[in-house]
Amino acid sequence: MSIVKRGNLKNSWYLPAILSGLGITFKNMILNLFGKRKMLTLNYPEEKYEYSPRFKGSHVLTVKKDGSIRCTACMLCATNCPADCITIIASEHDDPSVEKYPIAYEIDTLRCVYCGFCEEACPVDAIRMGPEWQMPGINGANFVHDIRQLAKRPNLKGGVVSVLDEEERHKAGI
Amino acid sequence: MAVQYLTEHYDDKDFVSLKGYKAKGGYKDLEKAFKLKPKEIIEMVKASGLRGRGGAGFPTGVKWSFLPDNGEERFLLCNADEGEPGTFKDRLMMEKAPHQLIEGMLISAFAINSKKSYIYIRGEYEYVAVILEKALKEAYDAGLLGKNILGSGFDHDMDVYRGAGAYICGEETGMISSLEGLKGQPKLKPPFPAIKGYLGKPTIVNNVETLAAVKYVIRDGVDAFRKYGTEKSAGTKLFSVSGDVQKPGNYEVPLGYPLKDLIEKECGGLLPGRKLKAVIPGGSSAPVLNAEEAYRATMDYECLAEMGSMLGSGAVIIIDDSNCMVDLLHVILHFYHHESCGQCTPCREGTGWIEKLSRKIVSGSGRLQDIDLLDKVAQNMKGRTICALSDAAALPTISFVAKFRDEFEFFVREGRSKVKGNIYAQSAH
Amino acid sequence: MPKVHINGKEIEVAEGTRLIDAFLQNQEEIAHYCYHPGLSVAGVCRLCMVEIEGNPRPQIACNTIVQDGMKVTNKSESIKESVKWVLDFHLINHPLDCPICDQAGECELQEQYMKFGQYDPEMGERKVKKRKVVDLGSKIVLDTERCILCSRCVRFTDEVTKTKELGIFNRGDHAEIGTFEDKPLNNNYAVNTVDICPVGALTSKDFRFKQRVWYLQDKETICPGCSTGCSVKAYYNEKGYFRLKPAFNEDNNGYWMCDEGRALYRHANKEERLLQAQVKADDGSSHMAPGAATKKLAAEIQGLDKQKVAVVVTGQYTNEEYDQLISEWLKPAAIQQVYHWKNKEDEWGDFDGLLLRRDRNPNSKGLQDRLQKASLVNDWSQLEKNLEAGQVDCLVVIGPEIQAYYDDMQDKLKLFQKAKKVIWLSSNPVENLVADYHIPMKTYLEKDGTFVNYSGKEQKIQKMQNIVSQALSLSDFAYLIAGKEIPLTGAAS
Repeated sequence: MSIVKRGNLKNSWYLPAILSGLGITFKNMILNLFGKRKMLTLNYPEEKYEYSPRFKGSHVLTVKKDGSIRCTACMLCATNCPADCITIIASEHDDPSVEKYPIAYEIDTLRCVYCGFCEEACPVDAIRMGPEWQMPGINGANFVHDIRQLAKRPNLKGGVVSVLDEEERHKAGI
Repeated sequence: MAVQYLTEHYDDKDFVSLKGYKAKGGYKDLEKAFKLKPKEIIEMVKASGLRGRGGAGFPTGVKWSFLPDNGEERFLLCNADEGEPGTFKDRLMMEKAPHQLIEGMLISAFAINSKKSYIYIRGEYEYVAVILEKALKEAYDAGLLGKNILGSGFDHDMDVYRGAGAYICGEETGMISSLEGLKGQPKLKPPFPAIKGYLGKPTIVNNVETLAAVKYVIRDGVDAFRKYGTEKSAGTKLFSVSGDVQKPGNYEVPLGYPLKDLIEKECGGLLPGRKLKAVIPGGSSAPVLNAEEAYRATMDYECLAEMGSMLGSGAVIIIDDSNCMVDLLHVILHFYHHESCGQCTPCREGTGWIEKLSRKIVSGSGRLQDIDLLDKVAQNMKGRTICALSDAAALPTISFVAKFRDEFEFFVREGRSKVKGNIYAQSAH
Repeated sequence: MPKVHINGKEIEVAEGTRLIDAFLQNQEEIAHYCYHPGLSVAGVCRLCMVEIEGNPRPQIACNTIVQDGMKVTNKSESIKESVKWVLDFHLINHPLDCPICDQAGECELQEQYMKFGQYDPEMGERKVKKRKVVDLGSKIVLDTERCILCSRCVRFTDEVTKTKELGIFNRGDHAEIGTFEDKPLNNNYAVNTVDICPVGALTSKDFRFKQRVWYLQDKETICPGCSTGCSVKAYYNEKGYFRLKPAFNEDNNGYWMCDEGRALYRHANKEERLLQAQVKADDGSSHMAPGAATKKLAAEIQGLDKQKVAVVVTGQYTNEEYDQLISEWLKPAAIQQVYHWKNKEDEWGDFDGLLLRRDRNPNSKGLQDRLQKASLVNDWSQLEKNLEAGQVDCLVVIGPEIQAYYDDMQDKLKLFQKAKKVIWLSSNPVENLVADYHIPMKTYLEKDGTFVNYSGKEQKIQKMQNIVSQALSLSDFAYLIAGKEIPLTGAAS
C-alpha cells in the first residue's frame, strides 16, 4: 500500500523549485568557466581518473621469477566464482615439483561481477584484481580474456611477479 | 657378590669346543631331560620362575604353555639379534659357550616338541655366527642334532640365520618376518607367535640367555635355581655394564643385586673425580634413573618397574657428570629414528619429529616450548604402535626431559651445553 | 550373536565381526586409513583407537574381534586426543599440496582432519622430501610424498591380484611405496589401487587433472563390459562422463572392477557419439533426426515381405528394451528371422579368475531368455544362408554399443552387406559401415533398465545424463518402426 502525499501550496506551484535548480546549474557553469581545475567532470577518454592502487579492476595472472605462469590450475577460483566465468584447462607440467599448470585460463569479463572472490580463493597469489578498468573490445569474443591477455598484456610490462616462490618453499622444507 | 653360575667355565678356552664342553659335564642335562616328560620340563621351568632375559621379562614357562595342543608343527627361535644399544651379554655367551646354548635349546625344543629351531643372530656378529656354525657341525657329527638324538627318538634340526643388522628384527615378530624372507617388520598381535608365528605355525622365541638358563633349571632343579635372585625375579643375570666406570664389561650377578654394588664393587667404581649423574639400567630404551634413584635401585624386574624404568636386556649404562643429557638424548633419538621400521604412523613420524626437535635444541636454535613439545610428542607415541620401538624412543625422551629439565632449559637459553667439556659446550651463536 | 556396547548403544553383531565393522555398520564415526574391508588388516595407521572397558591401553578397532559384553567407546577425551595426535603424525610430513592434488575433495586426510582433527599444528621442522610424479606405467602416477604408507595398495596387489608389484621400500620416515626399479604397474586391476588410496599418492592417468571431483556427480549403475556385471559408479557433469569407479556389491564384484571396464565411459561422451541418423540418399548420405529417420524407415518397410526381413540382435541392451522390441514390433509384424549375434561364443566360458569374463555382453543371458520365451531362436548359419541366397530384403542390425569387443565386426559387416537394405542401430559410428540407415542409440548411461549377468542375477542400470538427447532407446525404436508413437510414460526409455 502506498501513501499518496497530497501536495501543499508550495509543491503544487513548481516555479520556485525550477528556479533554485537552475540557480545551481548557473552557479556551477560560472565556477567551471573561471576555475577549470576544480571542475569535477573529466574529458573522458582524453583525461582519465586515477584510481587507488587497491582498486579491484581487471584480473592479472601473476608470473614466477622465470616468467612462467604462477597459477597451479587448482580451480579454487573457478569454484568460488559466483558468476561462473572462469574456465581452466589443466595439464601435466614437465617439472615434477610444479606438477600441474593451466594450458588455458579464460575469464569471461562480460559475466564477471568483479567481486574479487577469485583473488581471495587463490592459495598461491596467482590471480589479482589489478587497477586497470578499461578493457574495450569490438565484439563479444574480445571480452573473453585468455592467459596471454591476463598475464602478459602490454600494460603489465612483462608481468606481475608473484611473492610466493615454489623453489624457495621447497628449499625451506615446507 | 658376583657369581659364576651360567658363566662358570667361561674362562676355560676349551669350553667352546664340544670336547671341552663335554669334559665339564656338557650334554648330561640333555640326557636327563630326555628322561622327563615334556610337560614336566615346562612345569619345572614355570616353577623355576625363569623370566625372559631379552627385555620384556615374560615368564618363560608361561610363554611355552601358550602353544596350542593340536599336533601342529612348532618352531623354536633363539633371539640372538642383540641390537639394544649397550647390550653385549649374548655375544659373550655364544662366543664362549655355544654348546651351552645348543643344549639349552635342545632341552627347550624337547619340552615344546619342536623339530626345527633357528638361531637368529645379528649380522654384525659375523665371527660369532662362525663359532656357532662350527659348534652346530660338531653337534651334528656327534649325533646331538639330527635324527634320533642320543637314542631318545627325538629329532631336531638347528640352523644359524644371520640378520642384516636391523634393530627391529630383535623384536620377536619382526624377527619372524625377517626369517620368513619378508621385510623385517613386526606383525600385528594378536595372533601371538605362540599361536601363529614363523610360517603361520606356533613359534616360541626366546633370548640366548633364557635358553641357556633352561639347562641350569634341569641340571640343578627348581630349588637350586631359585637359590639365586628374589621371589619374583629368580636366577642370575648377566649385566653388560658400559659407560663411565673403571671396569666396564659383563657381570653375572643374582637378580635383586643392588645397582650401587654393581657399580662400586664389580666395576671398580666411577672414574676418579667424577660424580654419578644417571644410569640407564636396561638398554637405551629404558627410562633413565637419576643418581639418587640409581643408588637405591636393586637389579630385578620389580624394583626397576617400580621406579618407572625396566630391567630390559640388562645393559647398564653408567653416566657420570661429564656427560650432557641433551646430547645423549639426541644420540639415542637419532638411533631410534634410524631404526624405526616405518610401519606404524606414530613411530615412523614421531621418531623423526623428536629427533628433529632434539637436533634443533643441540644446534642451539631450540625454543623453550620445544622441550614441552618433545615431551608431548613422546607421550603420544607411547603405547600407540604394534611393537615397542615407539615406546623405546618415547620412554627415554619423557624420562630425560622430566629428570634433567634444567639441562634442557639451560641449553635452550644459552644455546650451549651446561656441561663443561662437552662438544656443545661452546655456544653455537 | 555377541552384543557390544558402542558409545553407550547396545548393538548385536555377527560372530567374528571386527570392532571397526561394528562401528561402521552402526554409523558410528571412527577414524581409519589402513583398514579396508576388502583387504587383510595391517593395523599400521593406528587411527581407529578405541577404549575397551577393562583394558588399560587404547586398542585399535580393526584388529579386535567383538566379544560378548564388550563396552567400547571412542568418544572419550583421551581417545579423541590420541586420534588428533595420530592424525598430526600423519600430516607432519605430508606436503599439504591439496590445491594441485587430484584427490582433493575426496581425500580421506581432508575428511578425517575436518571430522577428528582440527588441531593447531605444532610441527615447525623441515619436512621429509620424497619423490614426486613417479610414472608407474600407462595407468598410474605415484607421488611418494603424499603417501601416508597405509599399505592398502601393497596389500591389494599381494592379496587380490596376487601380482605383488608394489612394495614399501626403505624404513622409518624415509619409507616409500613403489615398484621395483619403477617397473610399471600394469595389471588389469591396477587402478583399484588408486580408488583405495586414501590420499593422492596414486592417481589415475586417465582422470588426472581432467576435473576437480567436486564438479562431479555420481550414480550407481552396472558395468556393460562383460557378463559379470560389476556394480559401478559413473561420475559425470554437464560436460560429459569422466570416470567409472567400482561400487560395493557383496555377491558380485566386491569392492573391485577391472581396468578394461573403467574405460567404458568414453564411448558415451559426445566426441565419440553418433549424433544424427545417417540416411543413404541418392546423392550420398544425409543427416536426419533419429526419430524422423525411423518413421521414414517404418514407412519404407511397411510393404516388404516380412519373411524377408531379418533382425540381428546383440546382448548389449536391457531386458525392457528387448521386451518392447518383441512385443511392439517383432510379434505384431510376425518377423520370425531374429538372430542373436554372439561374438566368439566358444570362449564365453573364459574367466580371468577375478572378475573379467570373455562374454563381453552385459545381457546375453537376458536376451537369450527373451528370445527363447518368444520362440525366436534361430541358428546363425540360417542367416548366412539366407544372405548368400539374397533372401534378405531388409536387415536390421541392433549393433553392439561397445564395438571394441566385437573383433569379428569387419567380417560381419561384409556379410551383412549382402542384404538389400541394411539398417544399423548403434550409439557410436561404425568403421567402414555402409548402411541405408544408421540410427543413433542411447548408451547404458542414458537409460533405465535391467541387465542379467552370467549367473542369472538381475541388476538395474540407471539413467544419468543425456549426452545425445535425440538418440533412441531400443524401445523407442520398436514403437516407431511399428508405426506407433512413443508413449509418454514409456516403460523403459
